[in-house]
Amino acid sequence: MSEMKRVYKILVLAILTVFTAVSCQQFDNISKVGKVEALSAVVKVNLNLGSAPVPENLNVKLINYSERYEISATLNPNGSVTINNIIPGIYTVTVTAEKAQDGFTYNYSGNLVNIDIVNPNKQLTVQVGASKSGALVFKEVFYCGSRTPTGGSYFRDQFYEIYNNSENVQNIKGLCIAILHPLTATANLPVWPGADADKFVYASTIWQVPTNRGDFLLNPGESIIIAQMADDHKKANLNPTSPVNLLSAEFETFVNTTSLIQDNPAINMVMAFWPTPTPQWLTTVFGGAFVIYFPSQPIDPNNFVSPIGATTKHFKISIEEVVDALELVGNANQVQLKRMPAVLDAGASTVGGTYLGVSVARKVKETTGDGRVILFDTNNSSNDFEVMNPPVIRRYGAKAPAWNTWK
Amino acid sequence: MEIVFNIIKTMKMRKVKYIYWAGALILTLLISFESAAQKGKNINSPVSVELLKARALWFHTNNGAGLTFDNLYDFSDLQFNYALKSGDFKKRQDGENERVFGVSTQGGVKLGESYAWGSFAYNNEMQKGTLYNTMMLDFQRAVPYYAVDKNLSDWKKQNYELKMNVSSKPLWDRYFVGIQGEYVTKTGAKQIDPRSTVYYYTITLKPGIAAKFGNHSAGLNMLYQNLRQESGTTNSNSQVNQDVYVLKGLGNFYSAVVGGLQSLGMFTFDGNTLGGDIQYSYSSGSLSMLLNGTYSFRAEDVLSAPTKPKKEGSVKDELLSANLAIVKSGTNLSRLDLSYSSREISGIEYVQVLDNSWIVQRWVDVYSSVRSDFSSTDMSAAYSFFKGAAHEYKWRAGAFVNYRKTDDIYYIPESSMTIENFYMGADAKINMALKGGSSLVAGAGVVYKNNLDGSYIYGGADPSSLVVTDFMTPDFKYMKQSYTKIGGELSYFTVVGKSRRTGMFFKITADYYKPSQGEGNRVFTNFGAGFTF
Repeated sequence: MSEMKRVYKILVLAILTVFTAVSCQQFDNISKVGKVEALSAVVKVNLNLGSAPVPENLNVKLINYSERYEISATLNPNGSVTINNIIPGIYTVTVTAEKAQDGFTYNYSGNLVNIDIVNPNKQLTVQVGASKSGALVFKEVFYCGSRTPTGGSYFRDQFYEIYNNSENVQNIKGLCIAILHPLTATANLPVWPGADADKFVYASTIWQVPTNRGDFLLNPGESIIIAQMADDHKKANLNPTSPVNLLSAEFETFVNTTSLIQDNPAINMVMAFWPTPTPQWLTTVFGGAFVIYFPSQPIDPNNFVSPIGATTKHFKISIEEVVDALELVGNANQVQLKRMPAVLDAGASTVGGTYLGVSVARKVKETTGDGRVILFDTNNSSNDFEVMNPPVIRRYGAKAPAWNTWK
Repeated sequence: MEIVFNIIKTMKMRKVKYIYWAGALILTLLISFESAAQKGKNINSPVSVELLKARALWFHTNNGAGLTFDNLYDFSDLQFNYALKSGDFKKRQDGENERVFGVSTQGGVKLGESYAWGSFAYNNEMQKGTLYNTMMLDFQRAVPYYAVDKNLSDWKKQNYELKMNVSSKPLWDRYFVGIQGEYVTKTGAKQIDPRSTVYYYTITLKPGIAAKFGNHSAGLNMLYQNLRQESGTTNSNSQVNQDVYVLKGLGNFYSAVVGGLQSLGMFTFDGNTLGGDIQYSYSSGSLSMLLNGTYSFRAEDVLSAPTKPKKEGSVKDELLSANLAIVKSGTNLSRLDLSYSSREISGIEYVQVLDNSWIVQRWVDVYSSVRSDFSSTDMSAAYSFFKGAAHEYKWRAGAFVNYRKTDDIYYIPESSMTIENFYMGADAKINMALKGGSSLVAGAGVVYKNNLDGSYIYGGADPSSLVVTDFMTPDFKYMKQSYTKIGGELSYFTVVGKSRRTGMFFKITADYYKPSQGEGNRVFTNFGAGFTF
C-alpha cells in the first residue's frame, strides 16, 4: 500500500511539473510580445529594360493578402521611395509602369513575392523588366462550373477564351495551353530539381492547337474558345441551368466519346502531355494556374520531371516561352498561396467559390476607333481581371476567326 | 487515421461515462449524508440555504482553507431545472429560442473540525436560430480568434461541472489548509452547414492556506487552470462549400472555406491560467468583514490544422480585482458587497512563413505583436437586508448599483469599440409560512440599465462585409441599448417523508427584458423542482 502511495505521489508531482513547465513556457512567450507598430520600407529598382525606353515613373504597390491591406506609392526609376504605415506581415511588392512610344505600348513590371516586412526600414530592391504588350492573352476563363437544377455539380462547361490584343495578325498554330502543378493553391509548394529550376514552370497537362492542319490566323480583336466540351451545355441531358452554349467554340479538349461526351464541331486539340488522362479535361474548379505558350521544341511526353520526393510526372516549360499566364485561386485569401512565378503573373484572380456559374474576364483598357477593345495586360491578374456573371464567350464584341465555319 | 479518430471518440465517450458515474456517486453520498447529519436540527430549505450563503464570507472566495471560519452547517440539495429563453432582444449569436434542462446537486458537510462542500451539475441545451457562431460553445469566452458564418443554425450542447471546496481541521490551533477544485467539460454540435463539433474542458485547482489570530484572519491561495477546446468543422452536403469568416477582433477577419481541398482545419485552444488571492477578515460580535484581492494571468494559444499547426492568435488576459464584504448578523442580517475589477485582454497575432523544405513543412513565426486590446472595468455595490436571520428569513430586500465600461481597440488598421453602462436594481422576497411546515416564497425585482456612452468605429479592410454590417453593428447596438428588466419568482416548499427531514420545492421564475428604445424583448423563464436535505 505504501508503495502505491509513493507511486501516486510521484505521478501527481510529475503531472503538476509538466503542467507548470508547459504553462511557464506559454506565459514566457506571451509576456514578451509588444504592441504592434507600423513599419517603413525603402523600395528601389534595378532596371533591365533592353531596348525599351525608361518610364518617367513607376507605380509601387505593397499588398498584404492575409490582411487585405494595400499601400501604393510612386517611384522615380533612378531613386528610391520610403513607404510608411506598413502593417508587419508578408507582402507582395509589385512595380509597374506603362509607356507608349513609337507605336508600341511597353509594360514594365517587377515583383517580390512573400517578402516578410517585420523590421523597420526594410530595404527592397525589385528587378524590373519591360515587354511590349502581349499579343495573345487570356480574355475570359470559366473554371468554377455551375449548378444543375437539382443543386448538383456540373463541370463540363469550363472554357478558356484567348484573344488577340494586338494590332497584328497572330497565328495560333501550335499554341499550347497548360495547367501547372500543383493544381490547387497550396502552401505546400513542390521543390523542383536543378539549379535553374526557377527558370521554368511545370505543367501537369498540356493541350496543343494542331500543327498539321495549316495556319490558324487570328486578326486583331478576334478570339478563340477552347472548351473542355464544345457542346450546348444547356441541353436537357447536360445542364439546363449552365450559363453557356459552347457549340461555336473553335477547339475542344476531346478525349473519348462517352454517353455524355460527343465529338463536337470544334477542332480537337492535341493531347501533348497528360501522363494519366481521364475521360475529360476537368481542370480544378478551385482555380488552376494556366499558361499559353509556343513550344520551341516538339513536346516529348517522355521528357518529364518530378518534384523532389515525389513520383508524379510533369513537363518543364521555359518561362521565356510563355505568352500569357493566369493564376486562379479558390478565394481571395489564397492569393498569398501563389504557384505561378511573379514574373508571369504578379497576382491572382478568383470567383471566390465553386459551381457558382461565374467567370473571370480581363478588364477593358480602351476601345479603338473601329470598336475593337484593348484589354488590360499588366501581368497582374489581381488588377487585370474581374468576376463576370454570367460567363459570356466573345464579350465586348470580340469576333470569331474566319476559319470557324461552324460558329 | 480512422483508428486514431475512433480512439479519440472512445476516449471522449469514456470521459462522459466517468463524469456520469462521478455525478451519480456524489449524488448518492449527498443523500446518504442527510439522515445522519440532520437529526435534531432545522430542516433545510432553499431559503435557509440562501441565508446560509449570505452569512458566509469565505465560502465566496477562492480559498477553501477559510471555509471553516464561516461556521456553515450541513446542507444539501438536488435541483431539476427547465429554462426557456425567447425573444429578439439579444446578441446575434444567442438563439432566438433556447431551452436548457439541468440537474444540479450540492452539499456541505462538517467533518469533525473541517468542512467540505461539493457540487455536480449537468445541463443539456438546445439553441434555435443562432447566427455568426461556427465553433464556440461560449462565444463570450474572451477569445477573439474563431470562425463564424452567416447561416442561421441550431446548436445542441451539454456540459458537466464538478466542484469541490474543502478545508482542513485547525493545525496547531491556528492554521488551516484547503483546496478548491473544479472540472468542467462541455460538448456541442452546430446543426447546419458549416457544422462543427466542439469539445471543451477546464480543470481548476486552488490550494490555499489561512490562519486565525483572535478576531483577525488572513489567507492566501493559488489558482491554476488548464483549458482545452477542440473545434472541428465539416459539411453535411459535400457538394456545397461554405464560406466562413475567421475573426480577429472588432470586425476584422479573413475569409476561409469549409469543404473542399482548402477546408478550414480544426481549431484548438490551449490555455493556462495562474493566479492567486489574498484575504483578510475581521470579526467582532455581530460584525464581520472580508477583504479579498485577486490577480490572475491567462495565456491561451489558438491553432488551426493540428497536423501542421498554424497560429491563429494568442490571448494574454490579466485580471485584477478586489472585493469587500461586510455582514452584520443578529436578529436580522445585513450584507454589503463592494467590488472592483479591471481586466486587460490582449490579442496577439503572428506573421508566419511556411518552412517549405519538403520533409519539414511547418509554419515558423517571424513576428508577433499585440494587435488588439480589450479592457474592462467593473465596479459594483450591493446591499441586502434579511428580516429574521435564525434559520430562514421572513423577508429580504436588496439593491445594487453597477458600473461597467469596456474599451476595445484594434491597433492597425484602427478600429475601436467603447461601451459604458450603469445598472441599478432592487429586489424583494417574502417567505410566508403555511400549515404543516410548508412555505411560499414570492419575490419581485427590477433592473434598469442606463447606457452612458458607446461608439463603434471600424477602420478595417472591408466595412461592407456581413461581419461588420450584419454581426458587429447589430451586436454593438444591442450592447449599447438601455433596458428595463422586470422579474418575479414564486416557490413552494414543503416537508416530505416519514422522517420529516427532507424538503421538496417547486419554483418558477420569469424575467422580462424591454429595451428603452425600439422594438423587441426577451423573456427568461425557469421552472424548477428539487429536494433539500
